[in-house]
Amino acid sequence: MPTADGNELDDLLRRCARQDASALQALYAHAAPLLLAVLVRMLGTRAAAEDALQDAFIRIWQQAGQFDRIKGRAMAWMVAIARNRAIDLQRARRPTVLLDAAELAAAEQLRVEGPAENVEFDAAHAALRRCLELLGGAQRQCLLLAYQRGLTQERIALAIGQPLGTVKSWVRRGLQSLRACMES
Amino acid sequence: MNYERPELLDRLAAEYVLGLLRYGARARFERLCGERPPALAARQRWEDRLLPLSLALAPVTPDAGRWSQIERAIDATSAGGAAPRPPAAARRWWPLALAAGLLAIAVLVGRLTFWSEPAWQPVALLAPANAAPLWRVERSADAAQIKIRTLAPVTLGAAQSYELWVLPSGGGNPVSLGLLPRQGGLERRLTPTQRSLLLAARQVAVSVEPAGGSPTGLPTGPVVIVAPIARAT
Repeated sequence: MPTADGNELDDLLRRCARQDASALQALYAHAAPLLLAVLVRMLGTRAAAEDALQDAFIRIWQQAGQFDRIKGRAMAWMVAIARNRAIDLQRARRPTVLLDAAELAAAEQLRVEGPAENVEFDAAHAALRRCLELLGGAQRQCLLLAYQRGLTQERIALAIGQPLGTVKSWVRRGLQSLRACMES
Repeated sequence: MNYERPELLDRLAAEYVLGLLRYGARARFERLCGERPPALAARQRWEDRLLPLSLALAPVTPDAGRWSQIERAIDATSAGGAAPRPPAAARRWWPLALAAGLLAIAVLVGRLTFWSEPAWQPVALLAPANAAPLWRVERSADAAQIKIRTLAPVTLGAAQSYELWVLPSGGGNPVSLGLLPRQGGLERRLTPTQRSLLLAARQVAVSVEPAGGSPTGLPTGPVVIVAPIARAT
């Protein structure tokens, strides 16, 4: 990921709010490859992810005026828009996502590499990784399948062959522990 | 549900960000974020906490034609008028996407080769009678694009829009060049028809239309501005 300054992205969003299409193009150049990576992982196919990417940028354009200008949150805001689009699309289609054993194992692994030479990101990522590693394997797997693959708790239960109630309690305890760890 | 309890709000926020809430609960939480700052703050904290999991993914480069499709869609959905977005099935029609991609590359290469910035030429200053200009309209050298800037605050009821028309030389019906922005500026690609009309015309006009533009394709409201087109020197 190119390491554009957060303020620069905030500024581009402000220009989008004033209907400056060149600012959206600059945001696209910076953020589209990352958002597409998120969407491919959530939607499973390149074609669906590309369509969702297009929808996400149209929303970014239309909703830029509502962007809450908390300094440096532009990327978090855009990722949320893309994720929400993917979640809507997933909920609208039939549950066809079946994960194989390798994918399930991968959900327990944490990617360690981040954007090169981005100290701020490295610190945030290291903290999250450390806290996720402190969770039990099953809790971590549930949280990652939900966040990265966009699976509902019902689909997670199907995918890992556990009762829904068990998955729900793993998710709840996992989130509690994660918050406690990241706030400490 | 008692939203005053911070731990409950936090749990809802976390489940929202993970995408675990069902449709109804999801919509309710979004409304809550609009109404209650603590809900929005809890949601943003979870978005920020989990963001590194997104940022750590290996980037995937979008198809070359994707940007031009987005550009066309925002032209249609923003000030550009009432043209609806094509359905997803049409957007996935790959030969079109491929053609658009090749065209985008051709345009890009052309620009890089011949001029780094499109050279904008004046088209018209749009001013109501006895008043300061409200918009400046320019076109690219080949008239394939127009650029519109607002020069002063534009006031009009929310149910109305200002629409720009080219008046064909030698008579004939006005042809829409799209809506005028209320603030800021925009650039808009012209169709070949709009382009050739603009190059030949001597006047443009502005009418007041229902929000989103004339429903008939011809001016339906009062024409508030008629302005001469500047001739290229």
